[in-house]
Amino acid sequence: MFRFRRRDTTARKRGGQSSAGGTPVCGTPVCGTPVCGTLAAAAEPAGPERGAAAEAEPGPRVRGAMAAVPGLPGLPGLPALPGIQGIRTCLRVAGAAAARPECFLSVQDGLAADFRAMTKTLYDLNKGSNIVRGGPLKELVIEKFDEEQIWQQLELQNNAVLDFFKKSIARDAEDEDLCLLSDQEEDGSDAEASSDKELEDNIMEAETEQINVYTKDEEKAKTKAKEKQSKLRESIMQKYSDEDSDIDFDIEALEQQAKTAKETTLRKKGRKSVVDDKFFKLAEMEAFLEHAEKEEKEKEEEEEDDINYFEDIISDDDKDLEEAKVKPIKSSRDMTYKDFFDPVDDDGDDDLVANDAEEDQEEEADSAIEEQNEGSMSEFEDMDEMVEHMRSKEASKKVTFNVPDDSETEDVAEGQLEKGISPSEVKSSFEKRQEKMSKKIKSLEEALLEEKPWQLKGEVTGQKRPENSLLEETVLFDHAVRMAPVITEETTFQLEDLIKQRILDEAWDDVVPKEKPKEEAFDYKKRISLDHEKSKLSLAEIYEQEYMKLHQQKTEEEENPEHKEIQEMMDSLFQKLDALCNFHFTPKPPVPEIKIVSNLPAISMEEVAPVAVSDAALLAPEEIKEKNKAGDVKTDAEKTPTDKKRELRRKKLRKRMKRKEKEKRQKLLEKMKPEQGTKLSKKAAAAKLKRLTKEGKASLLKDEGKDKALKSSQAFFSQLQDQVRMQIKDASKLKKKQKKEKAISVHKLKL
Amino acid sequence: MESGAPAAGGFTSVVSRRSRRKRRAGGEQPAGAAMDTAEPRPCKRPAFPPVAAEALGVGKGELRKIPVPANRYTPLKENWMKIFTPIVEHLQLQIRFNLKTRNVEIKTCQETKDLSALTKAADFVKAFILGFQVEDALALIRLDDLFLESFEVTDVKPLKGDHLSRAIGRIAGKGGKTKFTIENVTRTRIVLADTKIHILGSFQNIKMARTAICNLILGSPPSKVYGNIRAVASRAAERF
Repeated sequence: MFRFRRRDTTARKRGGQSSAGGTPVCGTPVCGTPVCGTLAAAAEPAGPERGAAAEAEPGPRVRGAMAAVPGLPGLPGLPALPGIQGIRTCLRVAGAAAARPECFLSVQDGLAADFRAMTKTLYDLNKGSNIVRGGPLKELVIEKFDEEQIWQQLELQNNAVLDFFKKSIARDAEDEDLCLLSDQEEDGSDAEASSDKELEDNIMEAETEQINVYTKDEEKAKTKAKEKQSKLRESIMQKYSDEDSDIDFDIEALEQQAKTAKETTLRKKGRKSVVDDKFFKLAEMEAFLEHAEKEEKEKEEEEEDDINYFEDIISDDDKDLEEAKVKPIKSSRDMTYKDFFDPVDDDGDDDLVANDAEEDQEEEADSAIEEQNEGSMSEFEDMDEMVEHMRSKEASKKVTFNVPDDSETEDVAEGQLEKGISPSEVKSSFEKRQEKMSKKIKSLEEALLEEKPWQLKGEVTGQKRPENSLLEETVLFDHAVRMAPVITEETTFQLEDLIKQRILDEAWDDVVPKEKPKEEAFDYKKRISLDHEKSKLSLAEIYEQEYMKLHQQKTEEEENPEHKEIQEMMDSLFQKLDALCNFHFTPKPPVPEIKIVSNLPAISMEEVAPVAVSDAALLAPEEIKEKNKAGDVKTDAEKTPTDKKRELRRKKLRKRMKRKEKEKRQKLLEKMKPEQGTKLSKKAAAAKLKRLTKEGKASLLKDEGKDKALKSSQAFFSQLQDQVRMQIKDASKLKKKQKKEKAISVHKLKL
Repeated sequence: MESGAPAAGGFTSVVSRRSRRKRRAGGEQPAGAAMDTAEPRPCKRPAFPPVAAEALGVGKGELRKIPVPANRYTPLKENWMKIFTPIVEHLQLQIRFNLKTRNVEIKTCQETKDLSALTKAADFVKAFILGFQVEDALALIRLDDLFLESFEVTDVKPLKGDHLSRAIGRIAGKGGKTKFTIENVTRTRIVLADTKIHILGSFQNIKMARTAICNLILGSPPSKVYGNIRAVASRAAERF
């Protein structure tokens, strides 16, 4: 499909492009002019550099023609034929052009014109010989025709001669006298650049051959044709791939490479390994494995490709036909050894080697080319390899799996050819789906059989998995600890909103101070007291009472309001009556005006105590005053130092509190009534006294220590005695001094 | 299903269920039916007629037997009137004392309305036989959620000889004081029959009493036990 697409679209385009005067897209030496296929046919055997093998195909006519051309290298003297001169010139021109492929890097208008002329010549030559009944056109018109039109003319011609070519190929393929030229030469010729038309014709030939191949079901024809085909295709594809890939590479270098590679591999593959024997060849096994891998790869790629609507369906059938070669004629019960295996023949070794060599070369060529042209080529290569594979198998192998015998199917195949194409070409959608399904199943099964990746194996330690592979995995595990909350903008906004709302609501989370519950007297009494007697009530009655209590709590005793009124009125009436009879009455027992409904246990209610006594008197001493924390009351002698200190502390505390209270009161009083305040306060009085003494209104009486002595009577009398003696002394002294001094200061007299 | 065509032509006539039942009731055989005349086809779903009211209540004369040990024979005789009156009048059961087998037998009769009456009566008599007073045992009839628990002193702690006697003495107390105290505080009734202890009361109360008795068996002094049960009982009382 790929090939045809190319041929249809790209080749023509390129032909058109390049001949329109533009530069060739790639650097490959491609001439833009269409060249008649016959030129190629004519030219190729002439020169070893010529392109793909159409040498056998045109048959004896061309050979004859070729033989007729004198002077051409490599050919014996040929009889002159009409038009030979034209051919000769053409050859010369082409050879000259090909000799300098570097010219093709740029547009060669002159060469283009030459080639065009050549085309016409060859076409007319072809037309002249009546061997092949060609198309409607008698001659090729090239004046003022562009490439597209010339191509179309040629196509007309080619379509017509297709049948003839088919038959001739078939015939030649059967013909055992014909032998193929050596691979080296062929490959070498492949590698060389030739004209575009040559390529196209090669393709055409390939196509025809291929059609022959696919429609027929004979292997020999196929193999030989395929071989040629493969060569063609290789060359074609090589060139096309070159065009398409836009890679500028040297074909001659490539050719050299291929040759050298071939030679080396030839030696390598020809070598026999230790395990080889009559039935088994290691090299073959390897080849088979490679082939299988490529097939797989090709299958994958085929699946990926989109459907090409312009492709011929032949290519699809190609593989199927090749794979489904089974045309069992015998039933499975009747199969014998010779149906499966070739007759054991020891003389076939040489052939084997030769064949191997050939096959190897072919394979190598294929592989070499495949390396260059990847992807797009794979399909072709696969087919090529398959072709070679089959061919090598059938050609004098010891052990092969040729299920259908060639001899049997050959004749049948031709007949089946024409029929065979149409039904197998078109596959029903169901079949396609089935195929896809089976492929999928296969792939899944293989995946299941393979070793599982480390992720799917159970417990994997560090050694069993690649380094740092866990970093790329997302692992799920349970968190033992609650993750810390991530603080984002939203969370802060939420918090702030909450705070604002709380402030507005004034719903603070203030700590409520706990209070120690103080046990009240009633609670003390409510505690269950133990009764050591046998209960007077039976169990049933106890439960009954409980039940009643539970259910009758709701129904409170509601006195009829009318009763209340009546009672009050009666009371007042009786009071008045008593007053009338001067209060000579026995007072009725004091009924409490307020009815207290108490929820006390019966024991507390049953206490025998006078009704008039207050509840306070009923209380026990402990209920009135709590016991001292320290314990019992102690005398001073019994008190321990801690007790004393405790008491002192208490006392100080009390005093402090009192003082504080007093000051507070004083302050308050000062503020309210200033005069009274000053009277009482000590500070104020001291300040007043000082002021007065300074002013002189008052004087302080100094205490000369006389008062101290008056504590005891002895002291008093002695002091008195002293005083008197002093007075006497003074008096006597005074008499003496009085005369001297009479000035007595006031101060001295002050006592 | 409609009744099909007659047998002519190879068709089997399928008869409707309703009609079949009617025929069966009537004792007829379906005329011209192709099916087995031997037995009618069985219905897939069993048909139950609505249950009669009488059948729901009581089975046919269910019987309970309570054996009477020799030591309770005389008390039973003395309290027979008190026992049998509530059973017969309130529970509508039949009661008798089988002299040969020494069993008190209680049976349902047609007047019995409540099926659980039989169980209650049996429990009541059993409680009396164990040693409880009739009035206390009567609570079993009057209240639904009273239970009877029995256990042995040696279940709590393996005691032998004097120790066992002392344990029993601790439980009883002087003049039964301790036992009465426990009874009063926990609102249960306790029967102390040598090494067996029976407690009658509601579930929580039984638990409290049992804990107290077990503590006594294990050796704690009665005052401690009083304190504990008092605390527990007050907590329980506060809750309700």
